[in-house]
Amino acid sequence: MIRTHTAVHSDPTDLLAEVLAKNAGGFVELRYHKKKTRAVVVEKGRVDTAQVTEHSGVGVRVLEDGTWGFASTDRVEALYIERAIRNARAAAKASARARSERCAPLPRVELARGRFESSGVDELLARPIEGTIDLVMRIESETRARSATIQSASCAYSEVYEEKGIVTSDGAKAWTRLIRPEFRVSAVASKSGEIQRGYESSGATGGWECLFRAASAEQLSERAAQRAVDLLSAPYCDGGRAKVILSPALVGLLTHEAIGHTVEADFVAAGSVAAGKLGQRVGSELVTLCDSGASEYADGAGGTLRVDDEGVLAGRTTIIENGILRSYLHDRESAARDGVAPTGNARAFEFDNEPLIRMRNTYIAPGDSDLEEMIASIEDGYVLEGAANGQADSNGEFMFGTREAYRIQNGKKGALLRGVNISGSAFDVLRSVDRVGREFQWDLGSGHCGKGQPAKVDAGGPWISCEVVLGGRS
Amino acid sequence: MNTTIRSEETATFDPAGEEARVLERCDQLVENALKNGADEAEAYGTRAETIAVRFEKGDLKLTQVDDGATTGLRVFRGKKLGFASTNQGDSDSLVATARDALALSASAPPHVANVLPTPRGREKRAPLAQVSIHALSVDQIVDMGADMMSRVRARDPRISIDNASCEVTRVSHAIRTSGGVRASESDAQLSFSVFGMAIDGEDVGGFHYGGDAVRHVRDAEAALRELIDEFTSVSVGNLGAARAETYKGPVLFSPDALLELFISPIVSGASAVAVQRGRSALAKKLNEAIAFSGLDIVDDPTDIELAGAGSFDREGQPTTRMALVERGVLKSFLYNGYAAAVEGRTSTGHASGGPRSVPGLGTHAIVVGGGVGGTRAQMERALDRGLFVQRFSGSVDPASGDFSGVAKSARWIENGVVVRPVKETLLSGNAFELLQRIVALGSHPERCSGSSRAPYALVDGVSVTAG
Repeated sequence: MIRTHTAVHSDPTDLLAEVLAKNAGGFVELRYHKKKTRAVVVEKGRVDTAQVTEHSGVGVRVLEDGTWGFASTDRVEALYIERAIRNARAAAKASARARSERCAPLPRVELARGRFESSGVDELLARPIEGTIDLVMRIESETRARSATIQSASCAYSEVYEEKGIVTSDGAKAWTRLIRPEFRVSAVASKSGEIQRGYESSGATGGWECLFRAASAEQLSERAAQRAVDLLSAPYCDGGRAKVILSPALVGLLTHEAIGHTVEADFVAAGSVAAGKLGQRVGSELVTLCDSGASEYADGAGGTLRVDDEGVLAGRTTIIENGILRSYLHDRESAARDGVAPTGNARAFEFDNEPLIRMRNTYIAPGDSDLEEMIASIEDGYVLEGAANGQADSNGEFMFGTREAYRIQNGKKGALLRGVNISGSAFDVLRSVDRVGREFQWDLGSGHCGKGQPAKVDAGGPWISCEVVLGGRS
Repeated sequence: MNTTIRSEETATFDPAGEEARVLERCDQLVENALKNGADEAEAYGTRAETIAVRFEKGDLKLTQVDDGATTGLRVFRGKKLGFASTNQGDSDSLVATARDALALSASAPPHVANVLPTPRGREKRAPLAQVSIHALSVDQIVDMGADMMSRVRARDPRISIDNASCEVTRVSHAIRTSGGVRASESDAQLSFSVFGMAIDGEDVGGFHYGGDAVRHVRDAEAALRELIDEFTSVSVGNLGAARAETYKGPVLFSPDALLELFISPIVSGASAVAVQRGRSALAKKLNEAIAFSGLDIVDDPTDIELAGAGSFDREGQPTTRMALVERGVLKSFLYNGYAAAVEGRTSTGHASGGPRSVPGLGTHAIVVGGGVGGTRAQMERALDRGLFVQRFSGSVDPASGDFSGVAKSARWIENGVVVRPVKETLLSGNAFELLQRIVALGSHPERCSGSSRAPYALVDGVSVTAG
């Protein structure tokens, strides 16, 4: 059996606390972070990847002379951590002369203390990789065999196990463990020189059953293969402004890309479209939008965490309440600047990265409409499903890709069309929301958000109807 | 093992010494794997030191100094693959890493192409970076970053910098294989980036990003000047954006947009792995015209002004200048060791990636040329009326070539000159079809983010949807 994720350094928070006590002075934050991954990738019958990787060490952040300094070491030993503290202090001093506005001392807030374990950790750590390799091999083979037009398929499993110890000079002393598995299936179909791809994935914070809570590996395979085949004969959408119903995955992309980034306090300070709009109406009164460290409404959301990388408890933040902008997302520094409590959104990718303001699980709260009645209410529009990539701009303009579309005419859903990219102005789209569904789903648990560093996030919600611009071919 | 953290008091980065230390770890891993049953073993490692100054909302946010070393081991046993990596350098961790890789190789099924490439000699090349860049201190990086910020701010008070950085990274990498490859090389790059927008009252312009990297301190000033010029003029030019027009027809693309939309699908399609696995639209197009007859695409790892330059690839194979497309004709596919073994040929030196994963397949430094369309101004006159796209934000399917996304920092051109910025404009089409509809390519390829070179391109038949 493959060596599982045994703890090389069991909880080192006592060691960190001792080092910190010996090196007291000013604000010091020590963050031990071990990340261990197991991954298997199979394409067209060949195991392309079967790997175990480990990356661990201690990141040190200090606030000296109103300026941050950061250094890291991959040795979890007092001598090296102390050296990293000295170097972080030297870095802060070197940069203080170039900083025009001093960061005020961080106000006291309630910080995490104790052990914080997420579900599924021990179960997945004990699961032999051999069985997973067999599953990935079988699903890839079955996907390829689902149609004669399928030329190639791939299947991948990965899991990231993380343990962190966070100790700060103002009271945090927390030990956290969590695990995030992902499963992906892709099929490539070809006919008459045309190539189309079908893709399905699932990601979670939790165990094996949680990963496959919405669909089994076989169902993901079937859907990916079917989509690749169907898209070969699907026509394109028309372009232009249109009434649409967005699936939970696309609602997730909308909340993350179009809204979430504009309310991150660092973007706000730089002048994002959300700046100065607290207390103002930015969406339909049907819209309540939140970001949470917990997995609200349904289990297993991929961005779940109990403590952020500054040692702040990661609770729920209501960003928009019934259409009114209520809060931004903060780290300790931005919260102090705005005179509010930190929201637990400081996250670092690995031990040698500084914490940045990042989302966790972002969603629109469910409403009371049925999907069928939403479709029936639209004379001319589209149902859009399946999230591809997405990006947002400072002016609130966003773009994201959809995998498939269905025309709605006279309240009836029609045949499959090829996916299309959609665009709009974030708050304009939220204002156009006229129905919010009651079914809720997390649907962006695989993949990462990129903002200098990757971060595992999730997003979702119910089906909603709104107005966007489609980038069609006409 | 990470024994030091750089600061202004520590010594200059010592490339030769670092290479020797990385090779020592690689040797330990390979020897351990062979001793414990591997038929073949390959260890690839890097050691990097970084000093980075990061700015946020116009002010210095944080200075970061760190270093680290990571080593990855790939083993084949009975033609079965196993891989493991670690950033720990103690003997116990290296032994555990070898054990993990070997254990994985016991579980995976065999494949006939699971072999390491045969070693090939590589030509002697000059060092990639000069000593001056290895010696840059924390104070110097802070000063350079602060200077960049003050110069951007001085250009126009409407500029709002969301984030920016000035960073020096020094890296040594090395590879050792059981087949006889033992190679190392060092590099250092000084990079700048700035990300932000212009704000004028209620008018918030779209984001713009500028970045560049150089290997010589003497080149930094020119690169910085060009970056600041481009970033400020585009950001301020984004103010006052209005609706464009919906049409299907010619669109002018910047070098960055050309690379993203039209060159990246060619590079993906030229992957021999994509061809072998039936997901390349170029599979049967070798020596056929796939694009406008004036288009040349070369992968040039000998161009040391580009970030991807280097003398060997992720498998230790020598890298060489190679034409992918000549006068619109597809001339070659890209091979790493695995893809080459599938066809019983030699690798083209295109194994890619770092020590934390098995080798992939990719290019080093793409250079697009062959155009005779003149300067940017001449290309704008050639468009006469329509959309000019400076950045593309969207998706390009590498298999089908279908793309759809938003034109960023876009401008509307009338009578051959830019008349206004435009917003919420979507583009769609198929890259492989539109490559045949390139009307003109500029004659002056520009460096793009320090990693590629490409000219402006005028392409007909693009679907443009105004929001």
